[in-house]
Amino acid sequence: MRTPIAYFLILSAALFAIGTVGVLVRRNALVIFMSVELQLNAVNVALVAFSRMHNELDGQVLAFFSMVVAAAEVVVGLAIILNVYRRRHSAIVDDVSLLRG
Amino acid sequence: MFDLVWLIPAVALAGAMANLFVGRKMGRLAGPLGTIAVGAGFVLGLLILFDLLSSPGEERTHVVRLYEWFAAGRFSVSAAFRVDPLSITMVLVVTGVGALIHAYAVGYMEHDPRPDRFFAYLNLFVFFMLVLVLADNYLLLYLGWEGVGLCSYLLIGYWGDRPAAASAAKKAFITTRIGDSAMLLGIVLIFVHFGSLEFGEVLGERAGQGIASEGAFTAISLLLLAGAVGKSAQLPLHVWLPDAMEGPTPVSALIHAATMVTAGVYLVVRSHVLFEQSDIALPVVLVIGLISAVYAALASIGQFDIKRALAYSTMSQIGFMFFAAGMGSYTGAMLLLVCHAFYKALLFLTAGNVMHGLHDETDLRRMGDLRREMPISAVWFSIGALSLAGIPPLAGFFAKDHIVNFASTSGRTAAYVVALVAAFLSALYISRPLFLAFFGSNRYEGRAHDAQWSMHAPLVVLAVGGVVAGLLLGLQAEGGVLERFLEPTLGAPEAAHLGLPEGVLVVIGSVVAIGAVALGWWIWASGRVDWEAFPRRQPELAGWLSNAFYVNTLYAWLVRIPGTDFSRSVRVVDDRVVDGTVNEVAEDVGRASRIAPILQSGFVRQYALVFLLGAGVLLLILGLRF
Repeated sequence: MRTPIAYFLILSAALFAIGTVGVLVRRNALVIFMSVELQLNAVNVALVAFSRMHNELDGQVLAFFSMVVAAAEVVVGLAIILNVYRRRHSAIVDDVSLLRG
Repeated sequence: MFDLVWLIPAVALAGAMANLFVGRKMGRLAGPLGTIAVGAGFVLGLLILFDLLSSPGEERTHVVRLYEWFAAGRFSVSAAFRVDPLSITMVLVVTGVGALIHAYAVGYMEHDPRPDRFFAYLNLFVFFMLVLVLADNYLLLYLGWEGVGLCSYLLIGYWGDRPAAASAAKKAFITTRIGDSAMLLGIVLIFVHFGSLEFGEVLGERAGQGIASEGAFTAISLLLLAGAVGKSAQLPLHVWLPDAMEGPTPVSALIHAATMVTAGVYLVVRSHVLFEQSDIALPVVLVIGLISAVYAALASIGQFDIKRALAYSTMSQIGFMFFAAGMGSYTGAMLLLVCHAFYKALLFLTAGNVMHGLHDETDLRRMGDLRREMPISAVWFSIGALSLAGIPPLAGFFAKDHIVNFASTSGRTAAYVVALVAAFLSALYISRPLFLAFFGSNRYEGRAHDAQWSMHAPLVVLAVGGVVAGLLLGLQAEGGVLERFLEPTLGAPEAAHLGLPEGVLVVIGSVVAIGAVALGWWIWASGRVDWEAFPRRQPELAGWLSNAFYVNTLYAWLVRIPGTDFSRSVRVVDDRVVDGTVNEVAEDVGRASRIAPILQSGFVRQYALVFLLGAGVLLLILGLRF
């Protein structure tokens, strides 16, 4: 007997919500970053679950794509955070508000 | 030898290119190089002349085809030069007088920081002028015609940092352009009717045999004449010539006295076959020439700027040439053209000496008695002025008498009387700068000094030419030398002998010239006439003369002021409508951009919250739809 799709979706939604709250409430850039990763993986869970439900591989392929993009994004994002930290000795995003209009 | 005729313009072009591209490195050598390039052309021209003279009269026309310039359908134009007595006469005048003026300019432009630029333009001018006179078809002629116009523009505006020079250059270019546009239309009409632009086709034997209607010939002739009138500064397109004197003096001598301004005469003489097919074309030439001659002579008397006085004198002399051509005396026109090149170049260059000696003073009222400190220049100016005045036996006497007397012998009594008046005025106006500058009382401050030897040497040759050119070329026993030389191209002039006998005419002409010079001496040099009081006593008349009958003012009323007003009104549209729209949009964007920054807090987490809310709203909408 298959696990109902709803379980997976509930898990995915829960992970996504945790990630969203993390992004919104945490001030440390690294933690925000991890929260973003959590959101991405929540979506991956949903993708794979739907893929399984339809008995097709498209969703799993898309999940792999998303992982590759996430890896690239981590490289760039971490580099930025590292440089910001070197200059300002802080990884707090509220300190970096240079783009205020 | 004839096949090498292309070398004559080629060396001038080579001189121009050398000065243009490596002139900076040559420094002081630029001038001598330019002089040699033109002098070499003169030597080549002489060789070709001797070749021409050694063949019988009928065989003196050679067409040298270099290559096909371009072809479109049945329209084909080749770069071809025509060697015949007329073109070789012009080549010798252009290169001969041109080389002398180049040599003079080496000394005159001594203090110029960039002599190479000056000589590059001057050589380029000689090149285009040679193309103009050697061309074997109207399109190549037109190329040279526009080329000399360009060089004239560049050289009038040579001292373009002076606003007067810059605007004089523009005026010359734009005014002649009016004539040039008409001329281009004339050339197109020639092609429409003849199917060719080559002189051999258009001006050959076929021309008379009903190829086109008389109306077409009239249209072609008058359109070509409009070009000639513009280039040669005849009424009503003459206004640019006096202003052109803003250019360096050698330029005034070469372009605006000896060569370019005579291109119009050359065009009429070259195309005389076309003009003769129309009943009204030649009379129009005659009238324009005669009126210009009298008008410019009167205007010259009113000028106190020595160069402007000479400029009006040039216009008057060219008026005589047009007058001669209008009567069918093409050789008379050419004789005056050649003699005028000598003595007018001499006069201009001597005026250059005076300006050089007096620190660029051109006002005759602040000269006087210069013969004490500039004795050699005084001799040159006297020769030039007396030659122009028509004192026998100098060059001007033969040339002018030839023309004036022809009016009588061909039965044009009224024209003869007017021409005689013009001749009288010519002698009067040219004796004026002579006496005001070199005789009478001393009115300048400081000391003058005469020019260096390198500026006198070329004048020797010009002075000799101004004395003997008439004797050599124009002596009237059974037609002058030049007349017989040009006969294969221009035909024999009609041999009618109406009016007064030849001897009486010569006496009248001489008496008029001598009388006018004597009158000039009495007014301006004897000290018995208070000429300086004239503008005060007769302000009306003096105003009319010095402003050249207010033609410039008239043109300002007719063209310049309406044109300026129109431009202003266009500018209002540009400022208010075009710029206004753009500026209004820009200001609106600016206002908007002062509101937008409120949204930009710079806090990443706030942006993320907005993201989330946006996504929520989107989901809500999707959920409501399904």
